[in-house]
Amino acid sequence: MQTTKRLWIGCLYCALVVFSAGARSEWGLDTAAGFTYDDNLSNSLEADDRKADTAAVIDLSGGLREQLGASTGLSLSLLANSQTYLRYSGLSNIGLGARVLLRTKFGLGAEAPWLAVAAQGVYHNYHYDYLDGWQYEAGATLGKQFGERWGLRASIRYDAYVAQQVQPPIILDKSGSPYDTYGWNLGVQATFLATDADLLALSFNWRTGTVTSVSGPDEEILEYSDRVAPTPVFGNPEFAYRINADTQTISLAWSHALDQRAAMNLVYAYRRSQAEYDLGDYSSNVITLSFSYTFY
Amino acid sequence: MTAGQRLAMLACLVLSASAHAAKLNAIVYASDGKPLPNAVVVAVPEDGRLPAVRKDIEVVDQIDKEFVPYVKPVRVGSYVQFPNRDNIRHHVYSFSPPKKFELPLYSGTPAQPVLFDKPGVVKLGCNIHDWMVGYLYVAETPYFGKSDGDGRVELDQLPAGRYRVRVWHPRMQGSEDATVQRMELQEAAPASVEWKLKLNREYRPRRTPLPGEPGYR
Repeated sequence: MQTTKRLWIGCLYCALVVFSAGARSEWGLDTAAGFTYDDNLSNSLEADDRKADTAAVIDLSGGLREQLGASTGLSLSLLANSQTYLRYSGLSNIGLGARVLLRTKFGLGAEAPWLAVAAQGVYHNYHYDYLDGWQYEAGATLGKQFGERWGLRASIRYDAYVAQQVQPPIILDKSGSPYDTYGWNLGVQATFLATDADLLALSFNWRTGTVTSVSGPDEEILEYSDRVAPTPVFGNPEFAYRINADTQTISLAWSHALDQRAAMNLVYAYRRSQAEYDLGDYSSNVITLSFSYTFY
Repeated sequence: MTAGQRLAMLACLVLSASAHAAKLNAIVYASDGKPLPNAVVVAVPEDGRLPAVRKDIEVVDQIDKEFVPYVKPVRVGSYVQFPNRDNIRHHVYSFSPPKKFELPLYSGTPAQPVLFDKPGVVKLGCNIHDWMVGYLYVAETPYFGKSDGDGRVELDQLPAGRYRVRVWHPRMQGSEDATVQRMELQEAAPASVEWKLKLNREYRPRRTPLPGEPGYR
C-alpha cells in the first residue's frame, strides 16, 4: 500500500510540475447522470441465484489538459462517481480517484490516427464495507477516424480491484478476499454518425482474469475457487467466490446530441462469462440510460 | 477654388458615383423554405473588368474553440490573420487545394498573415480540437456577400452591366456552378435573386464524449 501511495504522489507531483510550467492548460468537466439496470449483478452461474437491480448513477470527470507539443497532450483528471441501488443497498457506493492520460496524434487533421495511454485509480466506498477498495486500470487505445462518419479504435487494458479489508477465512487455505480481481482486456469499437446528431457505437471486449461470483453453498465452485467469503449483500446467506473466467461483452450505444455539449445516451451490453474448469457460464444484460453534459 | 467649393465638388462626385452603382438583393433559402445563413453570394462581371486587388488583411478568430465567423468570404489576393482569442493554444491547418497551410500550435496572433492567392473554398481545422471547422470562401471578384440570419445578402456599389451571379454554402448539394444566374444589373432599380438550396447533413466531431470515455482529454 505504501508503494501505491508513493506512486500516486509521484504521478500527482509530475502532473503538477507539467501543468504549472504550461501557462495555457485547458480545463474541462464531463458529467453524466442516469440509471442502469443489470439482470445478473451477482454474476451467478445458476439461474436461481441471479439478482437484478437498478441503480441511479452519477459520473464526473474533470481536470486539466496541457498540450506538450504539436501532436501530444497530457491530461490529469479527477474522477468521482456514485451508484445508488434501489434494492441491494450494500452495492451502493461512491468512488473518488484520478486519471492520467497521454494522447498523441500521428499526423495532421481529424483523420490522423492517434494513440492514448492512460492509467487511473479510483477508491470505492461501499455500504457493505468488505467491498471497499481500489480499482486500478491501465491501458492503451489506438484510434482512427475514417471520413466524417466512421471511427475505429482498438484497446488493450489491465484492470485490478484490491479490496481494503480481508474477511476472516472460513475454509483453510482459501483467502477471505474474493473481491480482489484482476484481468486483461482486449477491445474494439466502431462508431458511426448515423445523422448529424446520432452517434452509434458497437463495441466488443474480451477479458481474461478473475471474477467474483455469488451463489449459495456449492461444493464444485468451492473446489475450483481460490478465495471465498460469506456475503449478506443480496439478503440470503450466500457466498462470494473468486473464480477464473473469460468474459466477452458486446455493447451497442446510441448517443443523441442535444447540442454541441449535451447528449442523451442509451447503452445495451450483453456480457457472457465462461468459468474455468467447466464450472459453467453466466450471462447478464445491462441497460444504461444517461444524460451527459460537457463543460469547457 | 475655395475650400467650400472643393468640398461641394467632392460631395457631387461621391453622390454621382453612388448614383451610377447598381444593387443586387439576394435571398437564400434551404429546400424546406427556411432562410439560410452563411451562404456566399458572388457576382462576376461578364465583361471581366474588375477593380485592382487591394492587399486587405482579413480576420478569422478562434473564440471558445470555434472559428468565428464560421464562413468568411474574402477576395483572392487577401491576407488573413487567425488570432487565437482563447487562453489555450490552437493549431490551425487546411488541406484544401486553393491553400494548404499550417499554423503550428500558437497562442495570440501569428506574426505573419496567410495569403490566399487562388480562388476556391478553403476548409479550416484545428489539430487539437477536431470539432473546430470553418470555411474561407476565396472569391475571384470583389462583389460578394454572406447571408445573414434571414438568408439575405445585399450587394451594392456594383458597376452596371451583365453579371454571372452564383451562391455557395458549406452544406449545399451539387456544384456551385449549377446555381449560376445571368443578370443585367442597372443603376435605376435594384435587382433581386433567390435560391433554394438542398443541403447535406453536417457531420462534425462532437465535444461530448461517449459515456465512460475520456474523449480527447
